This record gives sequence, C-alpha cells and structure tokens, in this order.
Amino acid sequence: MSNPSVEVATQPNLAPAKRGAGVTRRMLKRAWGFTEMKVAAVVFATMMFLTIFGPYIIDASATQMNVSARFLPPIFMEGGQYPHFLGTDQLGRDLLLRSLIGLRNAFAIGLVSVIGMFVLGCAIGIYAGYRGGWVDVVLMRLTDVQMSIPVIILAITILGLSRPSPLTIILVLILASWPTYARVSRSVALAEREKEYVRAARILGASDLRIMIRHIAPSILPPIAFVAVLDIARMMIFEAIFGFIGIGIQPPTPTFGTIISSGTQYLLNAWWITVAPGVLLALALGSLNLMGGVLERARNQVLQGGE
Amino acid sequence: MKTNRRNFLAGATAVGAGSMVMPGLTFGKAFAQETGTLVFAAAGTVTSSWDPTSHTVAPQITAEGLVFGHLTNCPMKPENPGEILPDLALEWSVIDTYTLEYKLREGVTFHNGEPFTAADVKATMEYACQPDRPASAWYPGQVEVEVIDDYTVHLKTEKFGYPALNFWYVVAFLPILSAKDVADPEALKRRPNGTGPFRYEETNGDQITFKAFEGYYGGKPEIEAVVWAYVPDANTRVLGLLNGQYHLTERLEPEQYQSLSGEAGIVTDRSLSSENKYLHFRCNKPPFDDERVRRAVVHAIDREQVLAVVGEAGQASDCHISPVKFGYTDVENYPKYDPALTQQLLAEAGYPNGQGLPEIEYITSVGFYPKTREYGELITAMLQEQGFPVTLTTLEPAAWEERLYRRADGQGPGHIIDVGWITGSPEPDLVLRPNYHSDFALINGIADDEIDAALDKERNASSTDERLKVLQEETLPLLAAKVPSISLFSSVFLRAMSKNLEGVYFYPNGPIDLSKARLT
Amino acid sequence: MAFAIEFFLRRISQGLVIVLLVAFVIFTLLRIVPGDPMRIILGPMASQTTLEETAKELGLRDPMLIQFGRFVGEVATGDLGRSYIRGVQGGSTGGSQDADGFDPESRASVAGLIANALPYSLMLAGLGIAFALLVAVPIGIAAGLNAGRWPDKIGLYTSSLFVSLPNIWVGVVLIFLLSAKTGWLPAIGYRGFEYTIIPAIVLAVELSPVMIRAISVSVAQNLGETFYSVGLVRGISRRDMIGKHVLRNAAVPLMNLFGAQMIGMLLGGLFVVEYIFSYPGIGMLTINAVFQRDFPIIQAVAILASAALVIINMLVDFASTLIDRRLKF
Repeated sequence: MSNPSVEVATQPNLAPAKRGAGVTRRMLKRAWGFTEMKVAAVVFATMMFLTIFGPYIIDASATQMNVSARFLPPIFMEGGQYPHFLGTDQLGRDLLLRSLIGLRNAFAIGLVSVIGMFVLGCAIGIYAGYRGGWVDVVLMRLTDVQMSIPVIILAITILGLSRPSPLTIILVLILASWPTYARVSRSVALAEREKEYVRAARILGASDLRIMIRHIAPSILPPIAFVAVLDIARMMIFEAIFGFIGIGIQPPTPTFGTIISSGTQYLLNAWWITVAPGVLLALALGSLNLMGGVLERARNQVLQGGE
Repeated sequence: MKTNRRNFLAGATAVGAGSMVMPGLTFGKAFAQETGTLVFAAAGTVTSSWDPTSHTVAPQITAEGLVFGHLTNCPMKPENPGEILPDLALEWSVIDTYTLEYKLREGVTFHNGEPFTAADVKATMEYACQPDRPASAWYPGQVEVEVIDDYTVHLKTEKFGYPALNFWYVVAFLPILSAKDVADPEALKRRPNGTGPFRYEETNGDQITFKAFEGYYGGKPEIEAVVWAYVPDANTRVLGLLNGQYHLTERLEPEQYQSLSGEAGIVTDRSLSSENKYLHFRCNKPPFDDERVRRAVVHAIDREQVLAVVGEAGQASDCHISPVKFGYTDVENYPKYDPALTQQLLAEAGYPNGQGLPEIEYITSVGFYPKTREYGELITAMLQEQGFPVTLTTLEPAAWEERLYRRADGQGPGHIIDVGWITGSPEPDLVLRPNYHSDFALINGIADDEIDAALDKERNASSTDERLKVLQEETLPLLAAKVPSISLFSSVFLRAMSKNLEGVYFYPNGPIDLSKARLT
Repeated sequence: MAFAIEFFLRRISQGLVIVLLVAFVIFTLLRIVPGDPMRIILGPMASQTTLEETAKELGLRDPMLIQFGRFVGEVATGDLGRSYIRGVQGGSTGGSQDADGFDPESRASVAGLIANALPYSLMLAGLGIAFALLVAVPIGIAAGLNAGRWPDKIGLYTSSLFVSLPNIWVGVVLIFLLSAKTGWLPAIGYRGFEYTIIPAIVLAVELSPVMIRAISVSVAQNLGETFYSVGLVRGISRRDMIGKHVLRNAAVPLMNLFGAQMIGMLLGGLFVVEYIFSYPGIGMLTINAVFQRDFPIIQAVAILASAALVIINMLVDFASTLIDRRLKF
C-alpha cells in the first residue's frame, strides 16, 4: 500500500519556506491547540501506561494457560470472573493482558520500523536531492521500482518463505516503505540546497556531510513528522495482518493478528476473543491517527502563514 | 498428507449456516442431481496419476477405496484390531516362515470386463513392492508371487530375507490392479480399473464421478453414482451439508462437530482412526541426541491438558501405535507428566533448569490436523515453564511438509516436529519401521542399535502370537523408554452426513465403504 | 498526437525497465529464500537423486542469471509458465509423484489460473470502490466546502476512525454480525454475487479514508483559488460554481490519487480481504502459492501487479495532462 500522505506532502506550494526547527516548534504548538490532539494524547498515554504497567496491576497472566478457565466472558457479562476484565481465550489466558502485550509488541515494531524507514529514507533522499546528477537519477528510479511492488506482495513473499521474527518483520516493513521518506526528503533537499544559508555555509567551507545534517535535515521534519506518526499506526496494522495470515511473530507470544485469527474459530461461542482485542487496537490506532491528522492540519496552517 | 486450507471460522458457521443462505438463492442447483447420486464433500483431492503405487496421499487412498479391491479387508475396530475379513481372497494361511498362501474368489471381474485371476495378484504385488515405486515405503520389502493355479497364489519372501508374515495385514491395504494395466503404465496413470463397488466415470474440474459397478461381486451398490467434490474449506463443506448440497463430509473441527450433532437431518460420526499424533525429536543433532533431554521433554508435557484442548478430535492412548493397530497396548512405562523428573533429567544431562540448552524450534502445521496451534502453544508454554528455550513455528501444511522429513544430509530443520501418521492396515510396522528403524527414521533420525534389534525381532517373529508378545513386552516399552518421539494421543475422525444416508462404513484411515449404503 | 506518441513511448520504455527490475527482484528473492520447491513438487517420499534430476530438468540448478534470462524470454512470448502444485483442473494436486519425476504437462498453466481468478478480484475491487465512493464523496465534498466547520470535523473523525480499523478485524466482526449472527449475507468462499458484498464493505472501509481526505483537500483548495472568487464576483451562483467548476477541477488530483495510491492500496487490501473470506481471487491464489512455494504463480502475479501499477499510473498521468491542457487555455 502506498502512503496516503505523499500526495499532500510533496505538493510544491507547501515546500518549507522557513527554517525547519522554527516551523517544527510552531507546528507542534499549534497542534496542541486542537482539542482533538489533547484527547488523542490522553487516550494514547493511557494505553501506553497500561501496556507497560498492566501486567503488574492485573492479577492474571497473558501466557499461563488454564484449561479449566477457557472461554470466560468479559467481566461485565454473566459468568465473567475477576480479574479477567475482557475474559479469557481458548486456552484460558487473560485476554486483556494478551491484548496489552500484543499492543506493546505491535507498537514496538511500528516505532522501530518507522524510525528505520525514516533514517534510511531521509538519508537516501537528502543525499540524492543535495547531490543531484546520476546519484539522484539512480536512487529515484530505485524508489520507482520499490513503489511498483505492493507492500503486501513483498511482505507475504519474504515472510511467508523465510522464518518470521520481529527483526525480519521490521526489515520487511522498512524495505517496503522507505521510498516515501526518500521522495519527500529529496524534494526538501532540492529546495533547500539553493537557499541562501546553505550557499553561505558552503562558502564558509562547511563539509557536505555537515550541511546535510546540520542545515538540511531539520527542514525535513515539518513535512514528514505527521507521515511518520500515521505510519506507526499503519505499520501496527501490517503487523496485525501478518500475524493473522500466520507470517508474523509466532505464538505463543501474543500479537493482535494471532489472537484475532485464532478467535475466528470460536466466534459463536466466544466472540469476545476476536472483538475485545480489536477494540483496544482500534483505540490505540485511532489516537495515533488523530494525532497525525491534527499535525498535518497544524503544519498546513503554519505554512499558509497563519500563526 | 495433503495440502489443505485452514479451517476458518470452524464451528461458527455450523450454527448460523441454516440461516446463512439467502432466501431465494439456489446453490444446490450447481449439481444436477439424479436420484441415487451421493455427493461427498472431500477435504482433499487426488494426484494427477491414478496409479496407486505412485503416491502416499491420504485422500487418493480414500478415493481408491471406492474403486479397488484388496485381497483381504481389515475393518480395524478397536475391540478387535487384528480382525481380517475376506475380499478378493477367501482363505489365507501360513505355509512356512517365508510363504503365505491365498485362495482367491472366483467370478470376479474388473471394471473393464477382464476376469480377475492369480496373474493379476502376481503382477500387482511384484510391481507395487519394487523399491522405486513411491508407495513401496508402505510395504515390508520386495516379494515374489508364485501362481499355483488361477485361483491360488503363494507370496514368497525368502529371497529377500524377511518373514512373509509381514504381508499378513498389509495385503488389506494394497489395491489389486489388472495385470494388463501393470504392463501398460500409461493406462494405469490415466484411469483406475479395479474390482471395487464403483467404477471411475470422469473428472470434471474439482469433481470426480464414480458409477455403481454392475458386475461387482458383492452385488451392484444401491447408490447409482458417487460424486467426489473437492471442497477445501471446512465451513463450506458444513454449509453445503446443511443445505442439502452434499450428503457426506469429513475432517470436521471439534466445534463444527459439536454444533452439527444437535442439527436435525444430520447424523454425525465419530470414529477412532489409525492415526496417532506424534512429536518427533530430531535425534541426530543436539540437544536431542541425548536420550535424557528427550525424556526430560516428554515428562514436562501434561498430555491430559493437550487432550482437553483437542476435545472430540482426540482419544487418550499410551502407545506409539494406534489402538486399531495390531499390537496396541497401554504401555506400562509410557512417559507421564512429572516435572520433578524433568528437572532431574535436565540436571543429569548437564542442563540444570534448562541452562545451557540451545534454542529449540518446535515446528507444527496449521489447517490440516485439528487444534495443532492451540496445543502447540500449550506444549511450548509447558516446556518454557521447565526452562526449555522453545520457540514455536506454525506453518501452512505445504510449507510444513517441506520441512517435515530429513534431508539428504540426514538432518532436518527444527528440533521438535508435530506430525500424524496414518496407514490403512493394522500392520504396526507401517508406523514403526519408517519412523524408528535407523535404515529409515524418516523424521527423527534415530540410530539406536537396541531399537533396531527390537524392531527386527518383532518383524522376524514366526507367529502372530509370538510377534504380539515381542511387540508388547519389548519393542513398544523400549520406544517408551528411549522416546525418539512421543505419541500425544490417537486421532478421532469427525464426519457428518445427511440422515438419508444409511449403511456406510468408515475405515479408520479414511476410506468409506459405500457398497451397502442407501440414500433414502 | 505527437505529444501523445512521445509521451507513451517515453513512459512505456521507462515502465518496461521498472517491470523488468521488479521481476528481477522477485525472481532473485524467490531463489535465495530457504526451502526447496522440489520437495513440494515431488513429495516427501521422492529420493534425493530423483529430486536432483528433476531440478536439473526444470533448469532450477542453472545459474540465476540464466534462469532469469530464460524466464524473461518465456514471459515475452506470453508464457507465464506452469504451476508446480496445481493440477490441470486448477485444484491442488498431492505432493507425491511418480518416480519418473515431474511432468509439467500435468500442471495448470499460470496464465490460466490467473485468468480464472482475475474476474473475481475485479468484481470485488469494483464493488469495494463503489461502496467507498458512496461514503467518501458526500463526506469529502461536505468537508471540503465547509473547511474548519463541523462537516470538516466529521470528515476528519470518519477517516481517522476508518483508517484505525484493521481490515482483518473488520472482516471477522462483519462475518460475525452480518452472517453468523443474523444470517443476512453469506460470507466464506464464493458461490454467487452475494458472497462479494461483505468483503467489498471491508475493502471500502479501508479505501474510504484516503478518498475522504483527498476529496476534501482538493475541494477546499479549489475554493481558495482565484477563479472561484472571480466567478462569484461575476455573478455566477455559488451553487453553479461548485457544481460546474470546483468539483470538476477537484477531479484532477483525485485521478492522480487513483493512480498513485488507490491501486497499490487496493491490491494490498484485496490480498488480505480475499484471504479472510476465502474468496477465490488473485490474492487467495497468491497467498496459497507463497505457502506452497509455487514460485511460477508468485512471479507472475508480482510482475502483473507491477505492470498494472505502471500502466495505470501512465494512463492517469496522460489523462490529467490532457485535462490540464484544456483547463489552461
């Protein structure tokens, strides 16, 4: 799947007009002014708090199986038992804890892979944009190739044929999604290298590497920060899909995909195995996506000159 | 073993199925059904060759069950696993250690009209047992067939150095072909020509049609035609059964079975199979080259819990062979759940609390056998609890099958492998030799002189009584002590059929006897 | 005309290079991953010698570049090869085979398998896009015309919500609600048009957020353009301006969107949705092929998918240049 945000991010009239760091600061400030941002941040922080401290607070286990306590419904339903707030699964494990740990794993994979694609994509993009010439042509054609293979085909092929592990999943996600970052950062670098301050720095004898890191890199952030936030959510969905197809992190480590796919067998007698983790995941993803969406609006407003 | 789709939403559709069909839509019309046509929704399909010696594929063996006859017939009932009934042979006896005699039924014809005689038995058996035939792995070795007269044959094994008694049960599994076909392998591949109750009519997409054989020696079956419909999805099979499109279906998930059991118009069948489910240890590489580590693992597995998860699809058994096999017994020293012993064995092997063990990969399939992922997770957790660094790899059946057997270099991937072993004869060596004799040890790679000796002793026994004694008192207890693999439980096959279908017999390895069945 | 010829010549040659590179990447990938397809073709009981002989006959032991060259040659003549696993009937055949090895004639042609599966996928995709447009067009236009006001918020919330629902979960929950629980619609497999509806809804949930965003952004931008205020000053009613000009202009970026993103998303979505519903399209075919290591199918689908991406992008670019020209006069 290509990135839904490229379209807006690469529009020429939105190319950064001001020094990156200042824009970034104003963008964040404006974003925080949105009520949606505050709500999303609170929801997200709560989820993170639960994934980290949940296992210490809730007196149950995500991995300990209990054949006699299988298919317990959530606590608000008849037959629900404390401390299984969301009930138990087909092996008697606590669903809330499993979902929370699944969320932690998904978020870790999302975050690490986005950092990876950000660093790789931006490095390539800045280099191509700053250097220009054949380097640029080759690197950009490479992104063309990359973008012409749907992520899912690539991921299913690699993960389905090798042994899936968190590392391979992260690598596949990076491999499939870096071109977005390369393209955006290239266009930024292209615009920035002609700017006065970059020329000045060059005349003053700064090395290319220094210019790229000190002067161009900060300008990348405004047009791409929200893409990265949205991408964390997108990568988390991919992680769930991989788990569902059976090419994600392998059981018994809890992941959303495996919880949902094994729950499908028991939909009629224990629908909560499938439904409950999905609600949790949707909350986490929803808060991330809302934050990303607000960031994008804030950036557009800042760039259109509003303060 | 066959490629198969995972059982998505097993159980869920069964209940909702009746209402899942939109009113006014007629799915059943897909099959133009004449009266007396039975539609069987099969979980698997056949290979591209109809030569029974070309494959070891379970669904094709089921299909062959309709078409081919065998010398004898073993119903393999748990209460009398060794029972042998006549089929193409009416009498059988032991002449000496290396010779069996079979008296054949007269007046039998093949589907193409050729009469059945001793020459056909000779051609079939000598052909099927040649080592280069893929299915020869089932048979004890090469055999010489002497034609005494048109209706008497002697099976002779002296030349090949093993007792003829090994064929005692195997002949119930070996489909009898026509000598003319054996001489023409192309014909053999193209269409099946047997003496069974149904003759092959045609293949059309995923449907194979068989017609009742007028000349069947047991009388023409009442069912006029059998349509073999390959329906890889378990829910689609159940749905089709509920709306009358299919009459019979197989390989149900326990949840589907349970919900179908309460359904009017449907009869469910639950029968013990000749399949046991095993965990094999790769015995020719660390850490499982050490017997103590294998034993430590099996004592850490609480099989009662495993069985609770498997539910209707499993039955407890403490033996490396299924209860429908000759020689089955509850082996006295069969490993029991005993974590303390696990820890003791680990310490003895130099891995106290599992410290120092290499990472252990447990490979299992998802979608073919019921509940493999569920109990895989359960066993992984049990082992992790005892300190084994186990990781579980769940694979689609085809990918799993690719990793299942040892490779040319003798090594196989992973360390613990989940597999079922199913064969259509009470003969225990069909399980024991391929799995535990160092000449084969197809999966676990065990090479243990004591086990080899115990297997040879059992095979070379000169009478069935002696063989039973050796099996139950030496061979099976030795396997339980050295555990190159552990049998977790015996599989139970779950099937369902329309109430209108009567008189069906299910063999424990899959084939279905429809020769006496009726559709009302 | 000259423009069109030059445009297509340039883009087709570029596209060919891209597809060739994609093919090479996938081809290489399939040959370096662990797992020997020969085991699956011939089955567990085949001997090592048979295995090697058949592999040699099939050319699987030649150097990779030679294999790739041969493959490209075949594809150029329209031959996508034959499946390793699937029989002529299209169904999977058993792994075990005769000792004389593998007879390619007994296996289904990849082109045929794809041709059989494609109509199902196209139907699902079409219905999915239709459902998505049904939701996205009204919400998107309303949001774009009322930037910053409540319809805009609704647009933001709806798209944030939909984009946060993993398709696997939506799929299973809809099966539960619309099929298993209420019995309104059938869900698993395919035996008639009604089997397409729930999968298409899932697809639409996945596609609509991008559409809503794109529509609202482009409508809002057009409102900000000078021609809009000029038109209003000239006395053209707001209604006419929006109906006749704004929406038409907004269509250009939307077309770009369809090319650049929709097709990629759609492909990905189709794969997963078909898998969830056991829907017999290209996605199901490919996922099974991956699990069965049926390399010829994977290769062919990857190449066709990238070719489709390249061609659609080309057509979209061409179309939008044409529209743009007309708009410029």
